[in-house]
Amino acid sequence: MPDKAPPGAPAAAPAAPDAADAADAADAAGGRIDCANVYKWFPGGIVLEDVSLTVETGQFVCIVGPSGCGKTTLLRMMAGLAEVDHGQVSIGGAPVTGPNRRVAVVFQHFGLFPWKTVQRNVALPLHLARTPRAEAESRVSDAIRTVGLSGHEHKYPAQLSGGMKQRAGLARALATAPDVLLMDEPFAAVDAQVREVLQEDLLALRARLRQTIVFITHSIDEAITLGDRIIVMGTRPGRIVRDVLVPIEQPRTIAQVRRHPAYAGLREEIWQQLRQSAAEQAGNPVEQAGEA
Amino acid sequence: MSEPEGRAAGGQATASQLSAGPDTLGTREQIEAVIEQRLRQRSRRNRRMYLLIRVVSLIIVLAAWQYFGSKATPIVFDPLTRVLGALGDLFRHNGLGSALWYSVWTFAVGYLIGLVAGVVLGMLIGAYRRVEAGVGLYVYALYATPMVAIVPLLSIWLGFGVFTQEVIIALFVLFPCVVSVSYGVRNIDGDLLEVARSLRMGRASLWRHVLLPGTVPYIAAGAAQGVAMGLVGMFIAEIFTQLSGLGNLLETAAQTYHTDEALAVLLVIMALGVILRGLITLVQRRVAPWAK
Repeated sequence: MPDKAPPGAPAAAPAAPDAADAADAADAAGGRIDCANVYKWFPGGIVLEDVSLTVETGQFVCIVGPSGCGKTTLLRMMAGLAEVDHGQVSIGGAPVTGPNRRVAVVFQHFGLFPWKTVQRNVALPLHLARTPRAEAESRVSDAIRTVGLSGHEHKYPAQLSGGMKQRAGLARALATAPDVLLMDEPFAAVDAQVREVLQEDLLALRARLRQTIVFITHSIDEAITLGDRIIVMGTRPGRIVRDVLVPIEQPRTIAQVRRHPAYAGLREEIWQQLRQSAAEQAGNPVEQAGEA
Repeated sequence: MSEPEGRAAGGQATASQLSAGPDTLGTREQIEAVIEQRLRQRSRRNRRMYLLIRVVSLIIVLAAWQYFGSKATPIVFDPLTRVLGALGDLFRHNGLGSALWYSVWTFAVGYLIGLVAGVVLGMLIGAYRRVEAGVGLYVYALYATPMVAIVPLLSIWLGFGVFTQEVIIALFVLFPCVVSVSYGVRNIDGDLLEVARSLRMGRASLWRHVLLPGTVPYIAAGAAQGVAMGLVGMFIAEIFTQLSGLGNLLETAAQTYHTDEALAVLLVIMALGVILRGLITLVQRRVAPWAK
């Protein structure tokens, strides 16, 4: 499973603080992400081959692709959680050498600490960064209000529904006011209706966010709905096979996207790009033979 | 922002909504309050039922004891009433009170030493492979050794005093704690460790925010098992060293064929075990309200 962390990755390793300082210096480039000729190998073989990608500050990019295309690995590299074997990933002009304070991650599994209330989960990154108390408090309540969790501050994650957990995860990411927001299939663990509401809310939120957003998803619909730009990745080896701009103006709603004349065509275009590997993963040899 | 999943989470609401008709459907807060009240009522009903079962089962067991006890030869088995009489006598004339005090005190000292040492050792073994490599073998070897086997050796080394008893109890408590706690640390959710890494936690923060709270349920489990093992240790120590305490009282009663007195002492021990276990559950709820 190339999408997973390598087993036994040292979790206790203290992060290098100089990475953040370097990023501080490079404020001008802000949330720009540069991946230059990135390679990644795992014992099973090559995961990412020669991936080059530039995301401009403030852009909302969706990366869509089948399982095993290395999209999560690419995101983890941007987050400083996975090593780059060859090539370079930079954020704000500074090479990524480890987790960075200017980058926040929203995890598919929410990543909330079960022993902390919503408020304390959201406050944790600020607490770790030794933010003055008054400032931290106002930022935490702002973030909680922004994601629509007011009134649930003192609940533990176990008392929240899946959608609310991911709202809390998003609030934690926003509380630090990062330049880059990395979202790793954030809505994959909630059911379809809740997902749609969360998408709608993220679209509405988008207008107020200045962050560069990289959003990983399985779903073509989700990618078109949310993204300014879609990166389509293929498998064996993981690589970028398509890079399209979504010709639907922001701000938008889900209904507007579905009605948009470009929607069906774009959806079909991306689907054609993905169907080959999708058929293989679905175990459909006929499809495979037909395509060959 | 709307929050439909909050409503969806309480599936019980649907029935009342339908029967009451959509006109009387209140705000989300009102609906949630109704659901919460209903859930509270249900759990209260359940608690009452379990209590009833517990009481009925206790009555049956005690009645059976009384019945079979009154049929048996006094030297083999005694009815409940006579055992309770013996219990009163023991308290008034034969120093059960001071024996109990002595035992509880010795137990408390030995138990706390064993618990603290066990938790610390278990944490270190669980968190650091180097510690595990260094001392793991001895811990597992001693864990597999029946502690009874080293009691005679301990008396040779340390004599027959209170200190020996405390050491014996501590050893009985130590190993279940070490095993449970080290397992707990090793089984901390890997996803949470990755979150910790992305938040750039240092070693101290990692212990404080992740490892320690994440291990609390395992510490509680180790502490609870430690009570059971520690009481065994206490008995063995007291019988072996013949000093005083409950074990000595039981031994004397049994050797002089005062079965009623022996059973009375046994009752006290059982009560002690139940009370201590309850105490641990209480402490756990206090310290870790998130772990139910």
